[in-house]
Amino acid sequence: MWGKQNAYWVTNMMETDVTVIGGGPAGLAAALKASENAQVILLERGRELGGILPQCIHQGFGNFVFKKMLTGPEFSQYFIDKVRQSDIVVKTETTVLEIDKNKRIIATNSAEGILEIQTKAIVLSMGCRERTRSQILVPGTRPAGVYTAGTSQRLINIDGIMPGKKFVILGSGDVGLIMARRFILEGGEVEGVYEIMPQPGGLTRNIVQCLDDYNIPLFLSHTVTDIVGRKRVEGVTVAKVDESMKPLVGTERFIPCDCLVLAVGLIPENELSKQIGLDMDGRTDGPVVDERMETSVSGIFACGNVVHVHDLVDDVAVVAEIAGEHAAKYVRENLERRGKIRTVAGENVGYVVPQFLRGKELDSVTLYFRVLSEKRGATVIISCGEKTIFERKEKIVKPPEMVKVILSREVLNALVQNELRVDVRGGK
Amino acid sequence: MSDGGILRKVDKVIRKKRFENIDVKVEDSVVYLNGKVSSWDDFVEIGSLIGAIKNIRGVVNRLEYPGEIRRERKKGNREKSGEADVVIIGGGVTGCSIARELSKYKVKVILVEKEDDVACGATKANNAMVHSGIGEKVGTLKQKLCVKGHFMYGELAKELNVPFKRCGMLIILTKDSLSKLKIPQFLANFIAKRIIPFIVVRRGKKIGIPIKLVDREELMEKERYVTERALAAVSSPSYGVICPYFFTIALAENATDNGVEFMLDTEVVDVTVENDGVKSVVTTKGTIDTRFVINAAGLYADEVAEMAGAREYTIHPKKGATLLFDKELGNYINRSMSLLRFPRAEHYKGGGIMVTVDSNIQWGPTIAECPEKEDTSVTAEDIEKIFESYTPLLPDFPKKSVITYFAGIRASTFTEDFFIEASKKVKGFIHVAGIQSPGLAAAPAVADMVVDILKNEGLTLKQRESFNPYRDKTTIFRDLDIKEKKRLIEKNPRYGKIMCRCEQVTEGEIVDAIHSKLPALSVDAIKRRTRAGMGRCQGGFCLPHVVEILSRETGIPIEKIQKNGKGSNLFVGKAKCLLGDKHDGN
Repeated sequence: MWGKQNAYWVTNMMETDVTVIGGGPAGLAAALKASENAQVILLERGRELGGILPQCIHQGFGNFVFKKMLTGPEFSQYFIDKVRQSDIVVKTETTVLEIDKNKRIIATNSAEGILEIQTKAIVLSMGCRERTRSQILVPGTRPAGVYTAGTSQRLINIDGIMPGKKFVILGSGDVGLIMARRFILEGGEVEGVYEIMPQPGGLTRNIVQCLDDYNIPLFLSHTVTDIVGRKRVEGVTVAKVDESMKPLVGTERFIPCDCLVLAVGLIPENELSKQIGLDMDGRTDGPVVDERMETSVSGIFACGNVVHVHDLVDDVAVVAEIAGEHAAKYVRENLERRGKIRTVAGENVGYVVPQFLRGKELDSVTLYFRVLSEKRGATVIISCGEKTIFERKEKIVKPPEMVKVILSREVLNALVQNELRVDVRGGK
Repeated sequence: MSDGGILRKVDKVIRKKRFENIDVKVEDSVVYLNGKVSSWDDFVEIGSLIGAIKNIRGVVNRLEYPGEIRRERKKGNREKSGEADVVIIGGGVTGCSIARELSKYKVKVILVEKEDDVACGATKANNAMVHSGIGEKVGTLKQKLCVKGHFMYGELAKELNVPFKRCGMLIILTKDSLSKLKIPQFLANFIAKRIIPFIVVRRGKKIGIPIKLVDREELMEKERYVTERALAAVSSPSYGVICPYFFTIALAENATDNGVEFMLDTEVVDVTVENDGVKSVVTTKGTIDTRFVINAAGLYADEVAEMAGAREYTIHPKKGATLLFDKELGNYINRSMSLLRFPRAEHYKGGGIMVTVDSNIQWGPTIAECPEKEDTSVTAEDIEKIFESYTPLLPDFPKKSVITYFAGIRASTFTEDFFIEASKKVKGFIHVAGIQSPGLAAAPAVADMVVDILKNEGLTLKQRESFNPYRDKTTIFRDLDIKEKKRLIEKNPRYGKIMCRCEQVTEGEIVDAIHSKLPALSVDAIKRRTRAGMGRCQGGFCLPHVVEILSRETGIPIEKIQKNGKGSNLFVGKAKCLLGDKHDGN
């Protein structure tokens, strides 16, 4: 009976109501909200709070929450200042090593060594990481000069180092588009952005502001088929792809360059969620949550990009507050978990979050979902059994742009069956 | 067979294949080919056909072909920089094993390596298997050294404090094992189930390794994801797995501790000879006087031998590509496994699905002739080939969890066996060439053999009493229990800062690697010692941190930090460096 338990008395033992893991925008907003009614510890593995935002020095944040265009650092600083003024216990450069189902957290940092935190509720907000070159199986050598877009952004904006001179960007995700412009502003040359899909991966405003305004060509239905260079990138081969995304023989073109930057998608970072044993959604790569952002284990909440990848940090802040509020509420009074309505991704819908609706606390519930293919003039239809409870005509829907639907309490209370289906029908 | 007899056989092969303008010379059972062929494929074909003739010691293939890449020899530094009893050329697992073995004796040994670290060639890019020898042709030198060497690993790994596991290997027979033979299925099943396993067991007995029969029930119970088409398996339980670069670094560190000098980033450009004996080794960093040279130069062994005028073989590179999967699949299989196909390709065990000491399952390697010695690219076809070859073993394996892939180049000779002997032409020049698979398994036995050769060649080897076989264990944070972690951080707070989140590598470990006995001065060298950057994000998060620590600890400016030696600068300069004088960053 000693063994593992034995370890606990040697550690720095702490107790708290709510522990938030990850100090990015989701964690900051959740911690702030939770701290209104509970004692909160916020753990962040990086040196600074703010997550990815401090390196996002471009504008485009806060349109929804603050009603003005802010830069990433400005947006995050608002929350950081508030957190610093609150009685939230913040621990930076602190990495969580393990969490068990009893909500015992083991973490480590330099100053305190091994920390053990017994907490009543947990909010998971670890964010996401970038998909790498290997995950999309780009062939070639493994030289210096291949970076993910986010890493190159950090290198320039935080560390002040220039990763290359002449860039080829694979993937038109938002960070890649933002970086195309950034490389130009830093005196680099961007040969082009290559996207394997027939449509861009990033937001339209970024295509316009980052590529069009700087005359950077975007090649759709193209991919990189070879990375050349033994020690440092010497060039890449690009080629057109067919409908099944296979490179077309004869369309190859070699581009001399010293840097390949990849913006080929983000993956929620759920190593801890999996270690705890939370139910996961294979489509979002995140934990299954209900409308209060509670996961399959009661008292463990999740919010932000760890649940599914968001387009806008404003949306993250909103759901994070819901998570924080209910984590604090859970500590005081537990949450209703009986009723369980499943949301189902129907026609032309990739996924729906939350995956379950369970409580009656919220006045309204926002469903977030992504379409599978771009359509003009399609209709969003939400139905329960035979009954349509919501209908909205959309000018245009596309996979990179998340769709939101707000359902009122009255509508939800009137549901008779335990399944809500989301379809995006019609359109061209 | 006499040289005349060999010549007749070689002529026959050349005539049969209708090759023209080829001049053949045979000397000491080594075949020398001069002339021209029309392609690289012909170059390989003729070399391999001749290499397969019995009793040939080596094939020196000097046939020219269109598109041949000729490397210019670098200018060396002829100034004397030192002297040694023995100079080892090449810091792969072979060279480092020899270095460590020689460090047991009172001799001055210098090892020179052209890359910025040891283990940078085939050593770092193989499938990490310590083969038992069951897959090798009985009676070859590589088979004998493999069997002997693989038994030596247990103790070696303990002395050097390197994780090593006798993981065992399953050679699986399925309904498709004999599909190439085009015989009725019932017959194929019968042979696969009732005949082949017994042949393998007998072969194991003959070469002195344990082999066990595994029936279908036992196989399915122990490896529940194996294909339903499996009929039976044989297990080779003494098969082991080790991290080949970690092991090689450990050998090098222990050798350093015992007095061997390592010259990294040092390329050999000439070997001078006086009175038919080795006189010196000329490198890019000076000339070392020595009477004995060990040629463990891997892919470049033929070129180094040529420098000394002692060339008795040509290396024809063969690429092997491997896929590496996420740790979270670590428990998908318990043992390495391969699919036995009959008849199988010459000189290729067929690769398979391998476990590693770090829980990353590997698929591979492939095999393909490769004209360029440094072409470690992995092609789309390689990846496809790997999936195609091994999916029949584990049909449901989640293949999207690839975290990286790499290729290594095998340094094969045309005789497809190890070439380990003292040169008959130049006294003191010892060939340790043609080391391809199972070179890792054989390495300790190769080292023993080389020591014997050196003794025969007249080097006096007296035991050094002060030899310390033990290498201190490196601190690996993720392997410790909580109490140990706590104690460690109290002693040095840097062990409390996790830099690589995927592999849980701390700042303390990175600093240790930078200041280790064989200092890690590039990002990849740190990666090989600590695993920082080897996880699922492939360095996306930790790279900026590793770079910062490396710069801080060594004084190398951040913008000059390299990935893996000369020419691999990660960055082009400070931000704003491309904007000219107008914007100097202030």
